[in-house]
Amino acid sequence: MIRKLNIVLMLTSAIAFVAVYGLKYSVEEVAKNKLELERHIDQQKAQLSLLQADWSYLNQPGYIQPIVERHLDQLNLQPIKQTQFGALTELPMRPVQPDTTAMTALFQSLDAGVDPADKPIGRKQP
Amino acid sequence: MTVMTGGDVAPIAVTGARKFRGDLTKTRIRWVIVGLVIIFGIVGGRLVQLGLVVQDNSIEGRSREALSASRPAILDRNGLEMAVDIRVPSLYAEPRRIIDVDDAVEKLRTVLPDLDANWLRTKLSGEKGFVWIKRDLTPEVEDRIYQLGIPGLDFLTESKRFYPGGPEASHILGSVNVDNQGIGGIEQYVDGQGLAQLQSVGIADGQNLKPVQLTIDMRVQHVMREQLLSALTRYKAKAAAAVMLDIKTGEVVGLVSLPDFDPNDPSSMIAPYNGEPRMRFNRITAGKYELGSTFKTITIAGALDSGAVKMTDRFDARFGVRFGRFTITDFHGQNRILTLPEVYKYSSNVGAIHIMQQWGKDNYRAFMTKVGFDDPLPIELPEKTTSSIPKKFADVTAATAAFGHGIAITPLHMAAAMAAFVNGGVYEPPTLYKRSPEDVAALAKRFISPATSKEIIELMRLNAIEGSGSVMERAAQGYRVGGKTGTADKVVGGRYATNKNFNVFASAFPLDDPKYAMVVIMDEPHREGPTTGDTAGWNAGQTTGLIVAGIAPMLGIAPNFDKAIDDQLVPPSIR
Repeated sequence: MIRKLNIVLMLTSAIAFVAVYGLKYSVEEVAKNKLELERHIDQQKAQLSLLQADWSYLNQPGYIQPIVERHLDQLNLQPIKQTQFGALTELPMRPVQPDTTAMTALFQSLDAGVDPADKPIGRKQP
Repeated sequence: MTVMTGGDVAPIAVTGARKFRGDLTKTRIRWVIVGLVIIFGIVGGRLVQLGLVVQDNSIEGRSREALSASRPAILDRNGLEMAVDIRVPSLYAEPRRIIDVDDAVEKLRTVLPDLDANWLRTKLSGEKGFVWIKRDLTPEVEDRIYQLGIPGLDFLTESKRFYPGGPEASHILGSVNVDNQGIGGIEQYVDGQGLAQLQSVGIADGQNLKPVQLTIDMRVQHVMREQLLSALTRYKAKAAAAVMLDIKTGEVVGLVSLPDFDPNDPSSMIAPYNGEPRMRFNRITAGKYELGSTFKTITIAGALDSGAVKMTDRFDARFGVRFGRFTITDFHGQNRILTLPEVYKYSSNVGAIHIMQQWGKDNYRAFMTKVGFDDPLPIELPEKTTSSIPKKFADVTAATAAFGHGIAITPLHMAAAMAAFVNGGVYEPPTLYKRSPEDVAALAKRFISPATSKEIIELMRLNAIEGSGSVMERAAQGYRVGGKTGTADKVVGGRYATNKNFNVFASAFPLDDPKYAMVVIMDEPHREGPTTGDTAGWNAGQTTGLIVAGIAPMLGIAPNFDKAIDDQLVPPSIR
């Protein structure tokens, strides 16, 4: 009886020994992975913070203005004047009836091959 | 078991073999137990000892947490970053763990060739626990050094503060020192709000800190700064500053004070400007000045509100007012009897004194207390100063105070009062933090009645159309700006110097539905050209106009050239 118990106990301890040994190494492996991942996360965070700083730097009005000023000529830009603002309410209402004479004139002109839309109005041709 | 063999013979103790073995086993077991207790005692003692060891994790006297502790991002009112943290890896070594110093030096120099080999060798040898090798590396370099696999080398992520706008909002933000602690501005204020404690216990991690959102609009801030910079050169002024408030909430939308500094380089805070030290302070909150004729708005608002004077009253400005040896006269002398709107429009000192006297000097002094000129500003910036106003007015002090001389307040005090005057008379204390409608309602304080507020708006607009604000009006046509100029002689060596001015323009717009109040100041401006002047309308006024024209479209205020607006704002009776 005792003998059998001893054999069982010895077997159990042998198995436990192997298991603990294996566990120790797997824990070491996991710890290594964890460190690796932590380092990776840290790096990514650092990268992210750099990119964020970059992005906000590029979005500053103080950064954009000199660029705009450098390209005024190429982009044909000008500072807006107060007189250039309009409101939707300033648009005239739709006429009650279509202007038939103007329509006829437009169609005749189109038939003749002249499109009034091609003619620039008040704007210099580039 | 003892056997008795005779009556008086000494007993012979015989121990049987079984008993002998049993006793021996007992003794052995006892020894084993003692042995085990000793062994476990040693193990336990060692555990306790290990648990009590305090590891010195500090680096040059600072905890590792403090080095990597971050600060919350600071955003403007539209969410644009004004200050962010960058996490940078720094390389350090633990020399006592390095096995082969020469090998480590050789390998390290393949990645960082600019390190001196001898310097590195002395750094890495020895029994020290911690030495910095190189700080502020890029993540790429960190990776390459890591791949070398040198034992005893490791990285620490440090936090560095970065201000993407550079000097654009320097006086609002302040800066931080090498220990990541705020020195000035909102950075210092945030520390006082508990961030410093969070950092010291090491839980100030960038991810869990809520960003601080300010009320500043970086676009407004930029336009203001550009215009003031251009003003500094155009008028060859010593300094210039501007502040703009949202009158409904008291929120500061823009605050610029020139000369300023770059928060990314904290040492520039104390750098001399044009050879003069102490020039880069925040003039809006930490500078107090005699704000000149802009005070007439205060005088007239208080007098009108008390009922002592009416818009239709007339005041004799034919002669100066005498106080003993002094006579106070007008700069733009009209030398006739003026109506109240004319007193404002022509900025008559004599008229202002008469208005104040009709109202009473003690009432005037009490009104200054009421509009908050006595109290320090409630704004979040640590750089603040208190006003200099005598506790009790003598006749002469009251007279000069009626047109803004002899008393000094900060430009922000003036801006907040102006905001209240055009906001139906309701004051909101200026703030840099967003204010909820409930807080706005709770903090509201009435300065003057809505009727008086309407009259002040009339006067301010009148002054823009016909008075000293006309240069400003030309620059900001269509935006319904109104304001008052103030040209004060500077005090040099205890006397007023007539050739050195301190100019102010206090304004609000759009006056048909007031939204913003602004104060612009200029220190010692000069004439721009032979046809212009050096009074406030020409420099502080014009700059105000240019700023408004630049920012109004961004703030959603469309220009309106409708004549009816001005006719309604300024009734023909007061023109």
